[in-house]
Amino acid sequence: MQYFFNIVKADYMQRTRSYSFLITLGVTVFMAYSFVPADTANYTTLSASGYKGVNNSAWVGFVSGIMTTVMLSFYGFLLVNSGIKKDVDTEVGLIIATSPISNFKYLLAKLLSNYLVLLTIAGITFLVSIGVFFMRGKGYPFIPTDFIFPYLFFAVPALFVVAALAVVGEVFLGKRNILQFIIYFFLCGICMGLINKKGDHNLYGVFDPFGLSLMTKSVTQYINMHHHENIQGISFGFIFSGHRTFKYFEWPGLNWSAIFLFSRLFWVGLGIALVYISSLFFHRFDFTETITKRKKKKVTISEIGQATNKSAEFNLSALPMLSFDYGILPFIKTELLLLIRQGKRGMWLLNAAIWVAMCAVPLNIAYGYLLPILLFLQVTRFSELVTKEKTNRIHYFAYASYKPVLRMLPAQILAAMILAITLSLPIIIRCAINSNIYSILSIVNGISLIVLVAVMLGILTGGKKLFEVLFFLLTYSVLNRLPISDYLGSFAHNTNITLVLSIFSINIALIVLSLLARSYQTRHL
Amino acid sequence: MALTITNLSKKYNAKTALSNYSIEIDKGVLGLLGPNGAGKSTLMKIVATISKPSEGTLLLDGVNIVQNPDAVRKVLGYLPQDFGVYPNLNAYEFLTYIAAMKGIGGKELKQRIDMLLEGVNLSADAKRPIGTYSGGMKQRIGIAQALLNDPKVLIFDEPTVGLDPEERMRFRQLIADLAQDSIIILSSHIVSDIETIADQVAIMQDGKLLTHAPQHDIIKQAEGRIFEVMLGNADLNSFKTQYEVIDTTRLSDKIRVRYISTPDRIFKASTSVTATLEDAYLFLTRKSS
Repeated sequence: MQYFFNIVKADYMQRTRSYSFLITLGVTVFMAYSFVPADTANYTTLSASGYKGVNNSAWVGFVSGIMTTVMLSFYGFLLVNSGIKKDVDTEVGLIIATSPISNFKYLLAKLLSNYLVLLTIAGITFLVSIGVFFMRGKGYPFIPTDFIFPYLFFAVPALFVVAALAVVGEVFLGKRNILQFIIYFFLCGICMGLINKKGDHNLYGVFDPFGLSLMTKSVTQYINMHHHENIQGISFGFIFSGHRTFKYFEWPGLNWSAIFLFSRLFWVGLGIALVYISSLFFHRFDFTETITKRKKKKVTISEIGQATNKSAEFNLSALPMLSFDYGILPFIKTELLLLIRQGKRGMWLLNAAIWVAMCAVPLNIAYGYLLPILLFLQVTRFSELVTKEKTNRIHYFAYASYKPVLRMLPAQILAAMILAITLSLPIIIRCAINSNIYSILSIVNGISLIVLVAVMLGILTGGKKLFEVLFFLLTYSVLNRLPISDYLGSFAHNTNITLVLSIFSINIALIVLSLLARSYQTRHL
Repeated sequence: MALTITNLSKKYNAKTALSNYSIEIDKGVLGLLGPNGAGKSTLMKIVATISKPSEGTLLLDGVNIVQNPDAVRKVLGYLPQDFGVYPNLNAYEFLTYIAAMKGIGGKELKQRIDMLLEGVNLSADAKRPIGTYSGGMKQRIGIAQALLNDPKVLIFDEPTVGLDPEERMRFRQLIADLAQDSIIILSSHIVSDIETIADQVAIMQDGKLLTHAPQHDIIKQAEGRIFEVMLGNADLNSFKTQYEVIDTTRLSDKIRVRYISTPDRIFKASTSVTATLEDAYLFLTRKSS
């Protein structure tokens, strides 16, 4: 058993000892701080038709616990769904495959290390929530169980399910990251939809892996009873509503039912069961079958002759004269080729379908919803833009080439922008027909921002995850019409020029920082 | 063309990977030998301009390449020890990409790539994604990319790893051709490769240069110190406690043992043998440590 825990420990250490994880923790502290907004803030995170709880121990602890559960359930999946892929890429998987560890134990170890990573992040938000209570608690008594229980009964089981689904996703969908995200978020959407559904009082939250409906029902019942209202549901997430005046109520917290607590064990058990079922289908790093299928091709006699002609002389003097070309066009061409070939071909069908739809549906739908979705579908293309050299160990060649920073990096940025602008063409053309120059500028600006953030984070962290998570959160916020997230300028604004100039300034800063950071890296391998 | 390295040092925090390293390299092949962690790859990375020295200078024909790395990058061919490829590109596309990095274009590029692929025996597989290549085929792609720009400074870090015997032979022949016109720095743990290819040999240990000389001069340093003796199976362990054993060959009923010693304390019935580069390398590194 000891060796099993050593595997979990090593896997956990490997994932957490990185700059990207450190940055993730930094972002977590900021997010956790914003989970319980100050009274003067222009947003809420838990809204019940104009009502808001006073910042007593129960409200701060539960809101923080709920927000951690919801947010981490959403973006935690993106953070941890590459544990097996890492073993494939590093070929550690081949060593594991020859060891006596069973498929189930290996996948269970992956589940536990996924879980530990998520718990580490949840642990940070837990500590920050206590700090926030002492800042905003306004003299209410500190009750530790109001902080411990929501984390213990909401976050801890929910994150276990997330960790398990990440393993299941990797087993069945392998490197098809986008498809994994889509299916996962579809499932999350169904679960979130169930939260405000009416049902048997005793079963509140039981069939919800996040367990959140227990709290939503408690809050709505409390408001309805004490303030004679008829509120049916509660909204979660960062809801920007300006400096709105709220009615306050003093929520006392939850009574935990035995059936609810038992249901948490059910969800943990379900997670283990799903991983067990996946272990029956796990490839155990044997990809021979797939490769053989792909390689099946009739070999002609002339090919055999060519392949075995090892005695051919290598005549260096016969090589043609060199002509030098230090431009970046050939780079852009190959970078575009790499972008296009990245990922599964089937995803291009989806891209094409959305692209065609953007020509046909009303402009506000195409611009406000389809374009952000289409751009997000390119997330792995953008996140690999400047990390692929290191991932594929090409960086030795790249950094030793002529003026790598001034030729290669701009080519990568331009290639990604060409791709993104091509994908945005239906909206750009429709805006041009409407003489909407502001929107065209905003789209190009927003595309540049995404590409440059991908470049900057890729260079700084050397990994893809942080950008992928941030891009997901950004897209999620755009789809929820969060004004601050409007990077494509699709919402109605009265500060058009300010937004365009702000994003443009950020883009310039990102270009300068990326060039400086890459320049340092090329000389410090 | 000459590469002059003076008092080169490289420190990673508290660890010194290269210490006060000075050497002058002219046209021809310099073979680098040394145990793991001796600083060979660090030295090669610095010459390849992808790592900056903590101290010291590197001059290529008088031009300081630490301050002006692009001066050497134009004429550099580099084959790192642990390189990779873009698995989705085929060999032709990959070499076109590397050519773009090196600033090579023009109408002749296609022909040049075709000839290089033919030279490394990959013509038949040129249209296949490199992700499906074997280790040896990837290594040959690595060799081809290093030659794309007609380099005058070539750095090969463990170039023969993964090559079959026939390919290794072809590689050696290629290096001999290239050496007529270029500076070649080559490291390998396979001493016989260095023995066959290198004019000059530099032996490194703990980031320092132990010796740098033509191959025969290095071998001379071990002359009269290498001996062979036939031992019974039971005697080997106690023999190892008294002598520096270089090699053992198991015969039908005996073991032939090759060892280092001074002539005055050799084991009975030993015979003095002609030293090889491998003997000299082991003699010098063990003496130093």
